[in-house]
Amino acid sequence: MATKYDWSAIARNSKYLELKRKKRVFLFGWWFASSVYYFLLPILSGYFPDLFKIKIIGVVNFGYLFILSQFVVAFFVAIIYTRVANNEFDRLTDELVREIG
Amino acid sequence: MLAKTLSALLLSTFLFTAALAAEPAKTAGPSAAVSTPSAPVSSPAMAAPAAPTAGPVTAAPAPAPTKVKPNRAITITMFMAIIAVTLGVVIWAAKRTTSAADFYAAGGGITGLQNGWAIAGDYMSAASFLGMSGLISLYGIDGFMYAVGPMFSFIAILLVVAEPCRNAGKFTLGDILSFRAAPKTVRGVAALSTVTVSLFYLIAQMVGAGKLMQVLLDIPYRVSVIGVGVLMVGYVVFGGMKATTWVQIIKAGLLMTGTVLLAFLVMAKAGMNPIGFFNDIVNSQLVQDHVRMNVLKDVVAKPGFDYGQRFMEPGLFLKNPLDQISLGIAWALGAAGLPHILMRFFTVPSAKEARKSIVVALFINSSFFFLINLIGFGAALYLTPQLISSVDKGGNMATLLLAQKLGGGAGSFGGDVFLAFICAVAFATILAVVSGLVLAASAAIAHDVYVNIIMGGNADQQTQVRVARVTSLFVGIAAIIMGLAAEKENVVALVALAFAVAASGNFPAVMLSLFWKRFNTAGVVGALVVGTVSALSLVMISPVMTYPQKIADDAKKVITTLEKKQAEGAVLVEKDLKALDKARADFQKNDGGTSMVGLKAPIFPLKNPAIVSLPLGLLAAILGTLLFRDRRAEEMFDEIEVRQITGLGISKASDH
Repeated sequence: MATKYDWSAIARNSKYLELKRKKRVFLFGWWFASSVYYFLLPILSGYFPDLFKIKIIGVVNFGYLFILSQFVVAFFVAIIYTRVANNEFDRLTDELVREIG
Repeated sequence: MLAKTLSALLLSTFLFTAALAAEPAKTAGPSAAVSTPSAPVSSPAMAAPAAPTAGPVTAAPAPAPTKVKPNRAITITMFMAIIAVTLGVVIWAAKRTTSAADFYAAGGGITGLQNGWAIAGDYMSAASFLGMSGLISLYGIDGFMYAVGPMFSFIAILLVVAEPCRNAGKFTLGDILSFRAAPKTVRGVAALSTVTVSLFYLIAQMVGAGKLMQVLLDIPYRVSVIGVGVLMVGYVVFGGMKATTWVQIIKAGLLMTGTVLLAFLVMAKAGMNPIGFFNDIVNSQLVQDHVRMNVLKDVVAKPGFDYGQRFMEPGLFLKNPLDQISLGIAWALGAAGLPHILMRFFTVPSAKEARKSIVVALFINSSFFFLINLIGFGAALYLTPQLISSVDKGGNMATLLLAQKLGGGAGSFGGDVFLAFICAVAFATILAVVSGLVLAASAAIAHDVYVNIIMGGNADQQTQVRVARVTSLFVGIAAIIMGLAAEKENVVALVALAFAVAASGNFPAVMLSLFWKRFNTAGVVGALVVGTVSALSLVMISPVMTYPQKIADDAKKVITTLEKKQAEGAVLVEKDLKALDKARADFQKNDGGTSMVGLKAPIFPLKNPAIVSLPLGLLAAILGTLLFRDRRAEEMFDEIEVRQITGLGISKASDH
């Protein structure tokens, strides 16, 4: 690698700290939230099977729709993340890299 | 030159296979029965990534058992077409593989979109394609619930693993973990862990592949394992990551085509009305009978109980909630720690492309699992669970049978072609998955152990590529030998193990390396060793192992029942007589026997160890770190953190 970076100086840069904080809150926040939703599936189906039996549309019950909703949530998280990362994280990173030069 | 020799070699192997195939294999009698009396063999833990374990129905001595009978000429033509195309790719890739970066990371020249398809291709196994739809067709909604884990596993990869790893790593798991730890120690342990995980997974896939090809082409198990093995070795040794990537992309394309087509045909048959479709399933007399008699074993129907609706309710297959949570952990975190998946992030040039590839993979993968649910329920409605389980107790043939039926039925041209196509898709699927695994295991040995530990990082490109090729050859040969040896083993345990080890050892090690300042050599070693050993030992004493005493006890029950019937003067039908003989033989063989570690019954109650082994791995990581503080690791944290967050100083796979 041609360039040598002063890593600890970058680690104290205010732009870097902002990027780091934003990424951390967003990534771990969404990871945690989606994991909670994901683990609701084995927990609800295992310990509250009656909930899964409630018919919602014709014979299609809450359980089936809940499983489908897991797919929707995963799609949703992927889309949200792509937008935020493309618009915000990448922009902040570019600004930071330019500042360090 | 090399490539030509190779293609000639591979082609001749397969022609040999095909020639052998012309002579129908003698499928061994009951002795080859993979299915024990405690059937649904494919039931345990990870039926999903495990290749189909239950072979053709050997246990059911039903009169004239039905079989999947693909049209041999059409099927072999399609297989040859796939082999020809992939070999073309290998020849193309072999010419362009000159550096270590080419071999391990395709020179970083894969785009996000391509890598997304390749990751999906790496991840969707033949078992999800065949096994999961089978589970749904036999156990209803529980099978569909199974699909959520593999789908969700991409979330952790997307949010916290892919981009940081791309920014901080180079070729292997060892590269990430050894960044600020004692490089030789950590690389050694990481390589050991990678080889363990990949080989477990690989053996399970090889055995599954052998059994599947045995059924589809009617060739001996040996021939199918060796055939798949030779192709896999050829792809990796000559084409490295470039060929492996394209084999995976081709496979993912074929698999999605087959899946979309099948699901579309199911929906077309249901008049594009999903509510009516499920209504028909619930009201199907045969589905109701199946749930009542085969699953719930109610000889007399409970008055007023809606057995059809029960098919749409959980608990027919997945019985222990704690086991489901444990399995959920293995999925959610294990996939993010699988070395062959991690390796795929290094094939793209930047974190942005890594992100794109995971999003693409997530969409393909989720669509796949959603469509599998339609195929599974469609198989239940249009084929009936009775037919599916008569062909294979674990339901592994459901997708294939459905293709035949929706293509126009057995014997019709359309049915033959569609069935052959789906068989070819399964074949391509197997090839792609095993190739990725061989590559990951050999990268760990060649790059971490040879280049970085033995040679201290000093090896020129030519040597590195040569070593990588030789290593892949040996890993491949080892996999073939182990695949042959494990024919009669219960390989489902191995897949459970691979995921559990990845979740309990690799995942905490990777996460803490990237996010915890104090994390150091002792922590990495602690996580990998304790995570691996605890997962391994828990699986050894868990219910997924084979317990001969249990088989003997079950056989005893059958013997008692049937002998009592005989004693009462009833004349046993032929089916019962055969069952009696088999039970007696089973009892003789298994009575007093113990499992691999000398147990009569499992000690650990869960099939999936992650719920216990992950906390243990994590604890070891934390304790190790705190007990052996390492200033250097702490000082270097700034560097790895800045790198992983910003991508500064990213190791371009192409430079060296």
